[in-house]
Amino acid sequence: MSPIISATGVGKTFRQLKRQSGFGGALKSLFSRDYTDIRAVDGISFAINAGEAVGYLGPNGAGKSTMIKMMTGILTPSAGTLSVLGREPHAHRMTNAAEIGVVFGQRSQLWWDLPVRDSFDLNRHIYDIPPARFADNLRYLTAMLDMASYLDRPVRQLSLGQRMRAEIAMALLHDPKILFLDEPTIGLDVVAKDAVRKFLAEINRERGTTIILTTHDLVDIEEICPRLIMVDDGKLLFDGELNRLRASLGSRRRLTLEFATDPGPIALTTATLTADEGAAKHFVLDDETVSLLDVLGELGRGHGLKDVKLEEPDIEEVIRTFYLNKPNLASAP
Amino acid sequence: MKLSAYPAFTATAFTSRLAYRNQVWSGMFGELVATFAFIAVWTAAFVGRGTVDGVTLPDMVTYVIIAGPLLNWNTTRYIREVGDAIRTGDVTTFLLKPLHYPALLFFNQLGNNAFEQLSITLPVAVIVALAVGLLPPASVAHGLLFLAYWVVSWSMMFLIATLTAMLAFWLLTAFALDWFLRGIMAVASGAVVPLWFMPAPLAAILGYLPFAWVSYYPSAVYLGKLDLPAASLHLAIGCIWLATLVGILTWLWSRMRHRLIVQGG
Ligand SMILES: Nc1ncnc2c1ncn2[C@@H]1O[C@H](COP(=O)(O)OP(=O)(O)O)[C@@H](O)[C@H]1O
Ligand SMILES: [Mg+2]
Repeated sequence: MSPIISATGVGKTFRQLKRQSGFGGALKSLFSRDYTDIRAVDGISFAINAGEAVGYLGPNGAGKSTMIKMMTGILTPSAGTLSVLGREPHAHRMTNAAEIGVVFGQRSQLWWDLPVRDSFDLNRHIYDIPPARFADNLRYLTAMLDMASYLDRPVRQLSLGQRMRAEIAMALLHDPKILFLDEPTIGLDVVAKDAVRKFLAEINRERGTTIILTTHDLVDIEEICPRLIMVDDGKLLFDGELNRLRASLGSRRRLTLEFATDPGPIALTTATLTADEGAAKHFVLDDETVSLLDVLGELGRGHGLKDVKLEEPDIEEVIRTFYLNKPNLASAP
Repeated sequence: MKLSAYPAFTATAFTSRLAYRNQVWSGMFGELVATFAFIAVWTAAFVGRGTVDGVTLPDMVTYVIIAGPLLNWNTTRYIREVGDAIRTGDVTTFLLKPLHYPALLFFNQLGNNAFEQLSITLPVAVIVALAVGLLPPASVAHGLLFLAYWVVSWSMMFLIATLTAMLAFWLLTAFALDWFLRGIMAVASGAVVPLWFMPAPLAAILGYLPFAWVSYYPSAVYLGKLDLPAASLHLAIGCIWLATLVGILTWLWSRMRHRLIVQGG
């Protein structure tokens, strides 16, 4: 099976006219051809097969949106070759557009003043969706995304979570082969994030829709994407299973124990103390298999424990650890 | 997207305006006041005179009704919306769909203006006509030609407004493009003062610019101020302008698309 998306040494360099400060500077920049080159994407290669769900992870400014824009055909690569569904996306923008679905977390594609249903109906015209299939898909998506209560409400009245579910539904009405999502969970509350993640995992499993999603939230990857591509500063750092990354990096989950009063020093066999603020103590769990119950069991009663917080490492921390452990990651590219 | 599917945007734009039905009353009120004010001004100007340069007061009243509410296409909201979409980069979401953006704008704005024409400007024209009287077209042929001019008027205004909105991409400022256009249109379209009352050199220049096809020529043809050969000739010139503006729009749009796709905005 040949891959549905393949990138070979893809790069994108943005040229920006150097701006000088002050009025004199503004005048000077009118005549100077002094550019700054920004390497947003730098020599990235990967191949994605039909039916995969791939998380494209990286901190802000890593070049995730730029990569999505190139794959969806609204930005040309400045280096390398990119092929999506056997075509160069930007050279076949219209044909490509008909076969993919795209969701930008920061940019709405719904019609602001129209009821959600009317935006969907316009998509039926835009993508020339046969009425029967449209009705089927609408029914399925409305049920799956729990949209029945607001299908007839204008988009401007929806909560962010409702709007994002409608955006995702809209991108799927024409049965795209690939669904691209750029930070689909950004700004959503926990419940809405969860609904979006569950649905995306389901649509990938049940319908076999290939999913590429960018995020800076590891939990997105954990719940939706078995495969992870990690980028930083435009470059590819890691391509493989999340578990493999986890295993080689250690779990790095952070545990915070809060006590009513300072209980004095506390030592745990399964976690390492990273900071002691007296009544609040911060640990990092030693490995993947340690559970919260293990920790609490070891701690026992009688310390006046008030609150417990267990947090996944954030992306900045994962990348920091990644650079530190790079020599140990033999199989990493 | 098939061409036959684009009218869906017209229908949607039309029905979405129904959601703002209460704006109809304020719109009608504004148009009524403005039209009666213009009629009052011309009535004062004609006091003690039967004709001025071969134009009678009933001629002028008819001119005001046609050039005023009827062919005064409202593009303020349109220019703001398109300008914003272009400035903020939201326009790229349209590049993600298998459609032609200028065609979408055309059918969308057709729905908007059709709504305004049916709910605001046409009723106002009828009310004013019943109140103060409206002359019939100069002849049946002039009346038919007027219908063609009416289509040209709307198309011309659509193109001018769209080109103005696209300037937002290169100017990249919050500069009030719609005000800029309204200023130009007030003078150059002949909506306020017909070209025949303007100083000859100015009228000569404005008579060849596309703006005059929005208000001045359609109204003048209705009144028979152009004989049939002249009216047909100017209809042809108007169509040449339309074709030229379509060409400029296509070129600007492809420049813009190219810059969006290569430089990322
Ligand atoms: N159109 C553009 N012109 C100039 N620089 C850009 C443009 N788009 C993005 N960049 C720069 O490219 C880098 C990557 O941006 P982006 O792909 O948006 O990152 P991410 O989505 O991972 O946060 C950033 O440094 C950003 O400032
Ligand atoms: Mg981004």
